[in-house]
Amino acid sequence: MWLWFSKLGSPKWFYDLSGKWLPWLIGAMVIFLTVGIVWALLFLPPDYQQGHTSRILIIHVAVAGTSLVFFPLMAVAGVITMVWRMKLADMVAKNAAPIGAWFSFLTLATGSIWGSVSWGTWWEWTDARLVTMLFQFFLLLGVISLRSALEDPDKAAKACALLSIVGLINVIAIKYSVEFWNTLHQVSSSVSFSSDSPNGPEFLIAIIIMLIAVYLFLSVCLIMATRNEILQRERRSQWVQNLVRLS
Amino acid sequence: MKPHRRKKLGMIIFMTLGLSLAVGLIAFAMRQNINMFYTPTQVAAGEVEIGKQFRIGGMVKAGSVRDDPDSLKVSFITTDFVSDVPIRYEGILPDLFREGQGLVAEGKMDSAGVFQASRVLAKHDENYMSQEVKAALDAAGVSTETYNGQVNGVLGSALPLPLPET
Repeated sequence: MWLWFSKLGSPKWFYDLSGKWLPWLIGAMVIFLTVGIVWALLFLPPDYQQGHTSRILIIHVAVAGTSLVFFPLMAVAGVITMVWRMKLADMVAKNAAPIGAWFSFLTLATGSIWGSVSWGTWWEWTDARLVTMLFQFFLLLGVISLRSALEDPDKAAKACALLSIVGLINVIAIKYSVEFWNTLHQVSSSVSFSSDSPNGPEFLIAIIIMLIAVYLFLSVCLIMATRNEILQRERRSQWVQNLVRLS
Repeated sequence: MKPHRRKKLGMIIFMTLGLSLAVGLIAFAMRQNINMFYTPTQVAAGEVEIGKQFRIGGMVKAGSVRDDPDSLKVSFITTDFVSDVPIRYEGILPDLFREGQGLVAEGKMDSAGVFQASRVLAKHDENYMSQEVKAALDAAGVSTETYNGQVNGVLGSALPLPLPET
């Protein structure tokens, strides 16, 4: 087990393996994204109460759900960086932050557009779900600027890892905000085919395709950014120089 | 695991737990401030003083909406199925405002026990159903719960994936 763990931490091993996976991931991502977006925006039957506005929710739910994985990911990577000093974990954490910030921004933007029509307001400062999500966006911007503010990369990695743990607690607050407190935001949409699910099957299928598409998109972005980071940080090593010479 | 790593991991776990506890206690202490609205039952119990600006949230009671034909004035009753609070409002209502749906209104209680709203927001539930299916079900007299239960049940057994809630 420990051997596998240290192998995973080797940037070269990750670079080779991800290079093999990447074309497949990109192919699957293109298929799912195309099907998901075209279906949600053009073919999905409108909701009986919201009409065409419900199309935004397919994207909003998928992006919002996915935006909650960034801090857990960065926190786990941060703990691995601090305890086992694995270089690869810090490279993943570093590149997850900007992608996460974009996802959070998209969540806020799509939610706001939907809210302006359905709720009658773009933004409510008193809604716990909305404010905790905004907090996540700012925390991610904070992680990014903390990384660039500290010159010593080891110190920066440690500081970012600690901030990621704060973000992890905020993720719990985002997740349960609609249950702990009275909010304007509805409670979590049940994405399950259980027989007591209140959602129409056409919406469930659309949301699931979109969720898979967004997860693939996130994986592709993160893997590409991490590969880039590996080449930069390992530029003096023999294998990267060989790679450059060959290409 | 080497001792110095074990020690470090222990420190991180201890710090995380401590921080969570602190945040949890703050959230617990501030829960009424973080709540977006009071329920009709809380208002009926006198938890809010007359003349103070606050928000109330509940369902629009079926059959209670009265539109004034000559102006934008509207009156209705909001309920949490325990207590009712009458609301008066003048202005444009959001798209999803309708009887039997949730709402959040901002305003003050007047001395007559009527909530004078300055702003009305619609609260939507987390359930989606297509227009055509809804119309067909209504025509056939089948409830949406029955329909979703059957269709989702079949799909669910064909695709036994653990899916996240988002």
